[in-house]
Amino acid sequence: MTEDYITMNRSDNVLIIGAGLAGMKAGLLLAHAGKKVYLVESLPLIGGKVIKNEESFPNLECSTCMVAPVQQDVLQNPNIETLTHSAVEKIEGEAGNFRAVIKKSARYVSMTDCIGCGMCFDPCPVSLKNAWEEDLGERKAIYVPCAGALPNVPVIDPDQCLQLNGQQECSACADSCMFGAIKLDDKDETIEVDIGAVIISTGAETFDASKLPELGYGKYPGVYTPFEFERLFASNGPTLGELTIRDSEKTPGKIAIIHCVGRQQVGYCSSVCCMYSLKFAHFIKSKLPDAEIFNIHSDICLPDKNYQKFFNKVKESDTTLIYSPSPEESKVSQNGSGLKVVYTGADGKEQHVEADMVILSGAVIPHPEGSSVATIAGLNLDSYGFFEAGKDDIGSVHTSREGVFVAGSAEGPKDIQSSVIQAESAAGQVMICLGEVNR
Amino acid sequence: MKAKVGVYVCECGPNIASKVDLDRILETLPALDEYREIELVVKKYGLLCSADGKNYLEEEIKSNGFTHLVLGACSPRDHNKTFIGVCKKTDLNPYLYKIINIREHCAWIIPDKEKATEKAISYLRGGINRVLYQSSLFEKQLDIDPDVVVIGGGIAGIETALSLAGEKRNIYLIEKSGKIGGKSSRFSSLLPRQGKGLALIEEKIEKVSANPFIKVFLESSLESIIGFLGNFEIVVKSKNGNTDIKAGAIVVASGYGLIDPLSSESHSYSESDDVYTSLEIEEMLKEHGKIMTKSGKEPASVALVHCVGREEKGYCSRICCNYMIKIARYLKDQSDAIKVTEFHKGLCMPDKGDQSFHKAMAERGVEFRRIQKITQDGTKISFTGMDGSPGNADFDMVILAPAIVPSEDTDSLAELLEIPVSETGFFQEMHQTTDPVATSIDGIFVVGAAHSPKGITDSIFFAQAAAGRILTHLIPGEKIVPEVKVTEVLEAFCTGCQNCLDVCVYGAISYDESKGVSVVNEVVCRGCGNCFGSCPSGALRTKHFTNPQLYQEVREAIR
Amino acid sequence: MNDTERSAARMRSPEGIRGSLHDFLKIAVDKGAVDSVLAPVKVPAENSYAWILMNDPAVIESASPVAPVMPVQGAKALKSLTRKGKGESRILAVMRPCEIRAGIELMKLNQVHFDNIVLVSYDCPGAVPFQDYVKDPGFSEESFGKMIASGRPGEENIKPACGICTEFSIVDSDIHFGYFGVDEGSAFVIPVSEQGAELLDAIGLDRDAKIADWESEISSIRDKRTKKRTETLSAAGERIKGLDGLINAFRKCIGCHNCMSVCPICYCRQCYFDSEVSKKDPDFIFEIAEKRGAMAFPRDKVMFHAGRMTHMSLSCVSCGFCTDACPTGIPVAEIFSYMADITQPTFEYIAGKNNGEPLPLRKFEKKELPLVHEIVKSAEGEEGSDE
Repeated sequence: MTEDYITMNRSDNVLIIGAGLAGMKAGLLLAHAGKKVYLVESLPLIGGKVIKNEESFPNLECSTCMVAPVQQDVLQNPNIETLTHSAVEKIEGEAGNFRAVIKKSARYVSMTDCIGCGMCFDPCPVSLKNAWEEDLGERKAIYVPCAGALPNVPVIDPDQCLQLNGQQECSACADSCMFGAIKLDDKDETIEVDIGAVIISTGAETFDASKLPELGYGKYPGVYTPFEFERLFASNGPTLGELTIRDSEKTPGKIAIIHCVGRQQVGYCSSVCCMYSLKFAHFIKSKLPDAEIFNIHSDICLPDKNYQKFFNKVKESDTTLIYSPSPEESKVSQNGSGLKVVYTGADGKEQHVEADMVILSGAVIPHPEGSSVATIAGLNLDSYGFFEAGKDDIGSVHTSREGVFVAGSAEGPKDIQSSVIQAESAAGQVMICLGEVNR
Repeated sequence: MKAKVGVYVCECGPNIASKVDLDRILETLPALDEYREIELVVKKYGLLCSADGKNYLEEEIKSNGFTHLVLGACSPRDHNKTFIGVCKKTDLNPYLYKIINIREHCAWIIPDKEKATEKAISYLRGGINRVLYQSSLFEKQLDIDPDVVVIGGGIAGIETALSLAGEKRNIYLIEKSGKIGGKSSRFSSLLPRQGKGLALIEEKIEKVSANPFIKVFLESSLESIIGFLGNFEIVVKSKNGNTDIKAGAIVVASGYGLIDPLSSESHSYSESDDVYTSLEIEEMLKEHGKIMTKSGKEPASVALVHCVGREEKGYCSRICCNYMIKIARYLKDQSDAIKVTEFHKGLCMPDKGDQSFHKAMAERGVEFRRIQKITQDGTKISFTGMDGSPGNADFDMVILAPAIVPSEDTDSLAELLEIPVSETGFFQEMHQTTDPVATSIDGIFVVGAAHSPKGITDSIFFAQAAAGRILTHLIPGEKIVPEVKVTEVLEAFCTGCQNCLDVCVYGAISYDESKGVSVVNEVVCRGCGNCFGSCPSGALRTKHFTNPQLYQEVREAIR
Repeated sequence: MNDTERSAARMRSPEGIRGSLHDFLKIAVDKGAVDSVLAPVKVPAENSYAWILMNDPAVIESASPVAPVMPVQGAKALKSLTRKGKGESRILAVMRPCEIRAGIELMKLNQVHFDNIVLVSYDCPGAVPFQDYVKDPGFSEESFGKMIASGRPGEENIKPACGICTEFSIVDSDIHFGYFGVDEGSAFVIPVSEQGAELLDAIGLDRDAKIADWESEISSIRDKRTKKRTETLSAAGERIKGLDGLINAFRKCIGCHNCMSVCPICYCRQCYFDSEVSKKDPDFIFEIAEKRGAMAFPRDKVMFHAGRMTHMSLSCVSCGFCTDACPTGIPVAEIFSYMADITQPTFEYIAGKNNGEPLPLRKFEKKELPLVHEIVKSAEGEEGSDE
């Protein structure tokens, strides 16, 4: 790292892209140090992927309870300007002197006037699938993605809202709002901010299982992606936590969890799938004590001092562990009213289990937003599509552009702990980069 | 002076107003006989948290000269901070204010308006009674010392020191051995994904010696420590005497040890066998440039045995799979003719880039054999395959990957620093997922393999994370504001049983031998109330949560 | 120390255990193994005993190490001696097992310091209720004498707590005198701790006696006692069930707080119920009285006992002093023992054991969590069935 940043006209502000746990943690640290933080999030809510989980491994803590205080701190911190439903469009300049253009999409609901009472949802005549709930639940055209979303202010989907898409005159939500908080004439807004450093924390997604058609995702209602299952299990989710198979009332009696889905395709182990797959087994057993569960796995990756204990516990009581050299090559097919999973056994021969539900533990892949940010900011991605950090260095959060840092799963698959560590690390490197009064 | 209490109920739009009869509250409260001794002003407002509402409230406090303030509004989680902010703009001490949640607790959950109103009145009466027993509390500001003590001169300690040292911050790096660099400097090379590799480590070591703001204490150890975040006093013991240091934070980077393979029942060998641990191979290679048997020959076949002692320790050591693949590469680089077999129980390759390394080595002919069980006697290996079939083989050389264990000083350091150790024997972090570098003592951080088994990359991340915490929280010239709602000891009641010392997780309580009573360090105390609950004599009192305050509130609320 | 390896010395005296213990005290001081002795001595009026710290051989001659009554709990004597830390002088203290166990609890609470104390316990036949003794010391002395001579624990004329005591024999003292079921006039001197063994060596007592028979005798008595204790206490539990049961149990309480004064474990400097904070203004009391319809005075009867129970039940050693001290005959000890037998096993804790285990509420164990869950669940279940 170079020490001779230009000291004139430099900005002390920090731009953080992505308000998941990593972005929020980094933002809070920098705000504490008196830096002005612009926290930009594309979704209308902050919190990232963690809040989709009912409980997080390995301690099975309630994720919302773990993250909500962080979200509150972020929203109440006078040094953090949280820009939800927004996207960075341009980053120009150099370390210490960047200028960023941020587009704030119209929310159509005033952040200052709305108190989050939710009276506007019922009157809205439009219902559609809720993407945040992995399409397992429904929402209105005016909505918050989930109960307990923060900031607790709805957003109107302009493509679906009858008034906004021009289908018909409708002001049902505005009429129901006692605070006059709904602004159907709201416009997109573009702001420009001076910033000294950038942290990218755009997170990750899971592997698109439909790329492996043999696994039957999209074909059989009983086949789930990990986040679909998380939302199905979540007590604030679409079924209020009741485990029933998609489009039916049926409770699954046998569940197969297939590990390493997409591992060969992406070319790396995602380091978290074993743990969340074991967590799923534990989840299911907690609600359906009589259910039969099969974890079809290859390597078991438990890279933390506390993980094997959890593995041992689940192994003892919650699931049947089945070794397969290549679980991702399993084949899922219809079998009467249920499903059949054919896999390669330890002896190299084909074996099978019957299941009502199949969960595909997909690899962690870069978030699609990451590549657009990389283009905007002119940053290198690595061969896997994650942000390249410290090319010739070890343990670095520096991207290919000086003054721009990366934290969390944007850099590679990570558990919560490693994301937080990188966030704190990035915050420290920003402090150093912003030229130290401090060292 | 006669108390003058302002009570403001918020309509919260229709949220409260439609479900609670606010006018009845306005009529009822002032008419209550029990308030004849005080002056009570009860009013309602549309939306107190709005900009107008805050200004209104501020003006009301100022013009009425309230001695106490009670708000009937929403959950304190939503707007307690908002209204504390309003109080701070006036002469009213924020600890003489209380928010009562008549929205979530009354309006939103009780369909019967009359009952909701009654409950709101009861709660407000509780609140009014409580504030009358509250006292003003004042924030203190403390000077801090920005310097940092780093315990351990391995890669984690070095990285911490380099990230922090500067003109306004001195770093004291304490290393027990005669040189810095730790175990990684004994390696022969690093993993392919690790940048420029060993050269980087060597550069870092040189940077430490060149940095005028880093003072290295070799062959030294921590002798004693007292103090708290921003103000620690530390004594370092070296060969030529003790040194007193003042520092604002402490970073523990005491590293790791390796389990003795012979302590595992599955492994036995003698000195004369060609059996080595991974670290011995690294050192052999570094010293002789070649991996050779004791008889000086190149081994024709080598078994690499993973997970030695893993079952006994109960955790995966995270880095062994990778470095065992690296050792396979050493052998293949030395001669493609060497037959290399890795016996593993499932590969742990949690970093992107690991799998391609594995694949490359598999393609170079390294045999990866997944097994369920293994026993090793000298260079003889017997194992059970995944399908349950037994097998055995004899090799020229066996290389073991022993489990990573906490460094031997962990327990004594934990005792000195008063930070806990987890069941695995490594230091216990503040929170497994959301706060991994902090410990239960504010200002003491744990990084590197002292936290859990980890390689160089993650050790560096942890070190930088601790640095991030310190750089953002211990800024030279700035002050820290400790918690004000702390616990105090009423010495006359303290029997000296020291229950409170055991239950205090922050190490805020000490025992005064001469007086025979407990003493609370108000800077370290967070006011959690554990001690308060453990004291049989009622000698402890948490400010803002005193018995009379709680009692008076509850008494009125349930009257 | 492993029980199977336990070896003991043997002492014999025409006056039985009392004689042997008395001789032991004299030898210990005589040989300089200890500086002083703490033991009961009959008061000059001959109607009670007091704890006396003595090193004058003439005074030691008058000691009654095994006294028929217990006017002051021995742990309280130890506390007044060592509350402020250990002394330079080495003291031999002879006490009943329940007194030593209470002392150990106080040690954990930092109220007693054992550093220079050698504790001597003995097979305890039980103690005569104090009021009975005061009424007729002669009869009590005689019946107690017979009890000891029988070499068995007493059945009659002993405190109710003694009748259901299961910890009447060897405890975590330093030296134990075992004589139940041993030939008349003979007692085993058993080293319990290393300090005890050293003292026996110092005064030259050879340890060559086998004590297996004595051990089996003790365990058979303990089995019988355990049965009796369970029966008695579960009956007591039935009586105090629910708030009404508790109110009834303490209906006779006159608020004298004698039970608290004699309790060895109650160690607060001032009890909340004696403090100013507990005193309320009349309007407030009227208000409560009005709500209840009636009110008994002095106030806070059940609350006082419930409060003490919460504080004490984990450390309660069932010594029975509270019952002994109650002027209105409330079986306080029975109620406290009932609670203790529930709360102590909950934490797998045995009050009065000196095994380095901290007091249960000073540490939190994860495995205790499921139990909390269970309790919560069963409470929820009960609520559910009420509806």
